[in-house]
Amino acid sequence: MNQDARLFDVNAALGHWPFRRVPDTTAEALRARLAARGIRRAAVVNTQGLFYKNCHDANLELADWIAPHRDFFVGVATLNPGYAAWDRDLDACAGALGLRALRLAPPYHDYALADPCAREIAAAASALGLPMFLPHRIVDVRQRHWLDIEQALQRDDALRFLEAVPEARVIVTGAGWRLPLDERGRPRYPNLYLECSRARLTGLHAGLIGQLLFGTGAPFKEVSPALLNLQTTGLDRAAQQAIGWSNAARLFGLDKET
Amino acid sequence: MSPHWRTAARIDAHNHVHDAQAAGFRDATGRLDREHAHQVLARAQALDIDAVCVSHPLTGDCPDPDQVRRANDVVFAAMDLSDRFLGFCYLNPGYARESVAEIDRCVVQGGMAGIKLYHQYRVCDPALAPVMAHAAELGVPVLVHAGKLRNTRGRSAQPRISDAGHFVRAARQWPDTILIQGHIGGGGDWEWNLRALEASTDCPNLYIDTSGSVVDTGIVDRTVAALGPERVLFATDGGFETGVGKVLDAHLSPAERARVFAGNLQRIFSRRRIP
Repeated sequence: MNQDARLFDVNAALGHWPFRRVPDTTAEALRARLAARGIRRAAVVNTQGLFYKNCHDANLELADWIAPHRDFFVGVATLNPGYAAWDRDLDACAGALGLRALRLAPPYHDYALADPCAREIAAAASALGLPMFLPHRIVDVRQRHWLDIEQALQRDDALRFLEAVPEARVIVTGAGWRLPLDERGRPRYPNLYLECSRARLTGLHAGLIGQLLFGTGAPFKEVSPALLNLQTTGLDRAAQQAIGWSNAARLFGLDKET
Repeated sequence: MSPHWRTAARIDAHNHVHDAQAAGFRDATGRLDREHAHQVLARAQALDIDAVCVSHPLTGDCPDPDQVRRANDVVFAAMDLSDRFLGFCYLNPGYARESVAEIDRCVVQGGMAGIKLYHQYRVCDPALAPVMAHAAELGVPVLVHAGKLRNTRGRSAQPRISDAGHFVRAARQWPDTILIQGHIGGGGDWEWNLRALEASTDCPNLYIDTSGSVVDTGIVDRTVAALGPERVLFATDGGFETGVGKVLDAHLSPAERARVFAGNLQRIFSRRRIP
């Protein structure tokens, strides 16, 4: 691995998690944690957006927290399409707040991906050019707190959602899935991206490299496991750079930045 | 027993090999999946792991002695393939007499390094007494599947899985037997398990391994804080990058990290009393 290679972590979070003591949940501390491991940029959500009924307040918090760190963090909004004013909130996130992606969290916000509201917000986000995050899970459900959700995002539900909103660019985080190929060995869902900290990268089909993104899950998770998964599983330098940086930079519109 | 463990800098205390024909761990034909075994060796080498402890446990409710022997034959085939594989002998302790005979076949005559139990019985169940006594006589460790599952599906699938409370009880019942609680990161509520293990200061025979897919920040730090660095064993359970990465990220001194990566298991293996 080229130690100077740039790394873009697409799976990081700020804010309080109520079910376990998690370190480095402030922008300053998380930035220091990631930068110490060679990470140059990170997409961050506000964990509190999972729990606020009016979750747009979490987007306002997030924008404040990352304002001094715009050279490092890319903000990801969290919205509930079953809650009032989500469409105005989405416009605010993409506009005044400068957030560059949207996270949906159906099990935390009491709706299903198959619901019409999910398709509506996906279409609206796509029209604004925002990629969309779908977390497979926040923590392993085997260790869930008794007030936390019991069911992780199911692969089939995510794929059906993609078929319903083919214009959406969707990033699934924290899943150990294999991305499907078509009969010609091309990605079957070209707009589906997988944050690959839990994905097996050995023996990876070359056609899938453009859809994989490096992510750590920090500060919930240790950083080195994701780094080792990228750096020691036999990927050549070009593949590591694509997964580690350029795929994400392109998705978030940062590929023109130096 | 292969001598690789004596000089190893990293020993994976908990891993598996697969059967070539029986999918998963539900049964065994006795034939090794050599392709998977070679992948294990390659991944281990890439991460500077010198020796890998492997078993083929069966996950059914009550595997019979023939199934158990076939499962252990898979492990023998792995040991024949590479001396970097250290075999662990799987048992269903419900068959007490056959289990003791299988320990003699696999550990005494066959050179396996230890014993592996799955979730057929809780670790503190009196049914395990003959196995625990024989393991103590031979000075070999007993690695046991473990967890504190918080999800309904997990609890219903593994109703007799052992949590840390069961391990503390077992360690007191059989103080001369070396017990290894499996995968702190693979068995559900690891914080619960560690809080329970804090009360095991009187159990120097109780160890825990670090394997499992959960890499929550601080998991290894907290494990070492709960048990002390002398009772924590590095392991991957097949997740090589997660297994190595979380130990590297722990705030350990070089001496503590070396103990976790290999020294503690070397100390365990040095207690073996088989010529």
